[in-house]
Amino acid sequence: MDVTDISTITPLELISLEEPPATKEGAIEFLLDLAVDAGRVDDRDAALDALLEREEEATTGVGFGIGIPHAKTDAVSKPTVAFARSTEGIDFDAMDDKPAKLLFMILVPAAGGEDHLQILSALSRSLMHEDVREKLLEAESKQTVQDVLAEVVE
Amino acid sequence: MERTVTVVPEDGLHARPASQFVETANEFDADVQLGRADEDDLVPAASMLAVTGLGVGHDESVRLVAEGDDAEAALDALEDILSTPEAKQ
Repeated sequence: MDVTDISTITPLELISLEEPPATKEGAIEFLLDLAVDAGRVDDRDAALDALLEREEEATTGVGFGIGIPHAKTDAVSKPTVAFARSTEGIDFDAMDDKPAKLLFMILVPAAGGEDHLQILSALSRSLMHEDVREKLLEAESKQTVQDVLAEVVE
Repeated sequence: MERTVTVVPEDGLHARPASQFVETANEFDADVQLGRADEDDLVPAASMLAVTGLGVGHDESVRLVAEGDDAEAALDALEDILSTPEAKQ
């Protein structure tokens, strides 16, 4: 992921250790609001529409207890990744039926070319490692989450 | 057995084509793996996370390797998905 550095993509304010709503759509809005509250989203409705449209095409519940809702949208002006986690897990329509406990939302500008796929694949590759998933599930501070994500960027 | 296939869908092996690909890989009595054609590493075709992690784009080539009773049928079905352009909505 050579898009830019992690403190720009995922500043601490885009990381939440609070419990998100228990539904897929509720959780997506929760992640989106982290970005909205951080002033990174110009048009919340447009961003939400883009995210839900992508979910409708095919779920971003990729299995292993992970959900990665993502979209390209002009509602953001720079690549943005928000993180939250669910203790019980959320039904993300994953093929392996495992509830999603680690949630990442990726938003990149529409003109960002393949940036979103680069971020998505880098994130997916690192999440295939169980120790990365464990670290994120067990992190007790936002800083720790950001540190783990920083390793993903490298 | 194995074969190399070029990915036709415009968005690459992503979104709906990726989802169809993984679902199909799960349907056969075969162990299917895939990787980029120019690399040795292979990942399980039946894992959405693994397929997403490959990040294969339009017009790139992948190597499919299958073992098991249905290996050939599985490769046929998977090649079919990778060779079908996605209807734009």
